Amino acid sequence: MADPALRVEDLAKVFGGLAAVDGVSLAVAAGERRVLIGPNGAGKTTLFHCITGTLKPSSGSVALFGRDVTHDPEYRRTALGMGRTFQITNVFPDLTLGEHLALAIVGTDRRKWVLHRPAEAFDEVRARALEGLARVGLEGRAHLPAKLVSYGERRQLELALALNTNPKVLFLDEPCAGLSPAERQRISQMIAALPRGITLLMIEHDMDVALGLADRVTVLHQGRVILEGSPEEVRANAQVRDVYFGHGEALRG
Amino acid sequence: MDRARLALIVIALAFAAALPWLGGPFWTGLATQMLIFGLLALSVDLLLGHAGLFSLTHASFFAVSAYTVAILQVRYGWPTIAAAPAGIVLGTLLAAVFGISVRTRGVYFILITIALGYVVWGVAHRWSSFTGGDNGVTNVPFPALGPAAITSHTQYYYVVLAAVILCGLGYRVLIRSPFGLGLRGIKASETRMQSLGYRTGLHLYAAFVLSGALASFAGVLYVYYNKFVNPVASSFPVSVEAALMAIVGGTGSIVGPFLGAAVVLGLRNWVSSFVEMHHAIMGAVFIATVLWAPQGLVGIAQRIHARLAKGRHG
Repeated sequence: MADPALRVEDLAKVFGGLAAVDGVSLAVAAGERRVLIGPNGAGKTTLFHCITGTLKPSSGSVALFGRDVTHDPEYRRTALGMGRTFQITNVFPDLTLGEHLALAIVGTDRRKWVLHRPAEAFDEVRARALEGLARVGLEGRAHLPAKLVSYGERRQLELALALNTNPKVLFLDEPCAGLSPAERQRISQMIAALPRGITLLMIEHDMDVALGLADRVTVLHQGRVILEGSPEEVRANAQVRDVYFGHGEALRG
Repeated sequence: MDRARLALIVIALAFAAALPWLGGPFWTGLATQMLIFGLLALSVDLLLGHAGLFSLTHASFFAVSAYTVAILQVRYGWPTIAAAPAGIVLGTLLAAVFGISVRTRGVYFILITIALGYVVWGVAHRWSSFTGGDNGVTNVPFPALGPAAITSHTQYYYVVLAAVILCGLGYRVLIRSPFGLGLRGIKASETRMQSLGYRTGLHLYAAFVLSGALASFAGVLYVYYNKFVNPVASSFPVSVEAALMAIVGGTGSIVGPFLGAAVVLGLRNWVSSFVEMHHAIMGAVFIATVLWAPQGLVGIAQRIHARLAKGRHG
């Protein structure tokens, strides 16, 4: 059997005395779309940071495509085919959108060390940058600095950055956070339109978006996995309804 | 490039070329210093304005390079063609060692660079059998390349001017390269750069060494101008002043550090002719810059330019 794109084993992250993530194991097969849901404080983002390398787990292991990366820094995981977005928009305010994409494109190859040629002299990078912007609906924006575009466009840029490091597995931390319903729909359509070859692990609060995109869903509560199953199973599960939606509230959709 | 900017560059170059006739030896000497210290400030600004690292040890590379040239030329009779590169190499090697400080960030980086700077100053000051102690190394000749020798400060001014222009052009390519863009990315968000595949520590280390190499080159230009070098060249105030020049002129630009050097050195020369406490005046200038013009003179020029453009179109 092929190695899963992501395997997390018995992972824990303790802050002081608080176990934000408390023994999580999960495996995401190559090509699968997995959505991670759970109420606030369930440990989703902490788990995410341990998977991407932003945080060091207290115990347990993380493997990408069968290779143990638990102690690897984030840039090495990116070189192995990881792409990620941040829940809180993390872009470069003074750089233009075109420059953002150029940085993402050369980030995983040796051209990032080139000193003697202006970045804009790389025609292939420029063409790919424009293409990458168009792919997330940011055509005609390449010359604007990130601080001058709207919040929604910065979220699109966030996605474009993750998509342009040649990822084989994408980790999206609430890609729709803070967006209007119309913008949400745009982003989730973009995500749905991604090639199926890219494995996806995504945190999402919006149940319609989450259950519409997911092949499988993992439900996290108080740092532990309480259920893993198909969107239908999750929808039907009484325990999930309890922890996630509170008592007595009807499920939409 | 727009025509106004081209015209400005041509005028500046023509003025620089005519300065020895227009100003005489005093102004030519001052301009040489401005160019040399502007180059040192530019090297500091590669880290400060582009990578977001505030180094206070750049006088170390400047001085080690100056001492190397002076000792090799004066004591061992090396020719310029060997002594000058040796100065740059030794200064750069020191930067390669001091580069470990990029393992820290923010205030820790500043503190470590201050400490490293004091180590070099201490050696220059105390190891008198080798460095000449407080007196330093004197009687450094003008540079000579075989039969072509510099014989006057005016001639040397042109050498420095040409060297600075070449450095400025090279620097321009560097900051626009993917590597330079990477530095700006790291300054804005190191976590994002790591997630894009950048080994940010190594990137900053490379920038530190390059910046040290440029400071070393400024040290070579300095020792041939000054004719001697003593521990003052390696001292903390020189590092502070270089950073101050970059900030007063405007960080993140190429002309900024040179404008800053002109203001700092010009003011010091002028003010010290009638006030004893020129350091206090410089402090006031620095405070005013940080409070009211954090983007420096370049930032003020850009604001005026933007306002004029707005007035014209609207």
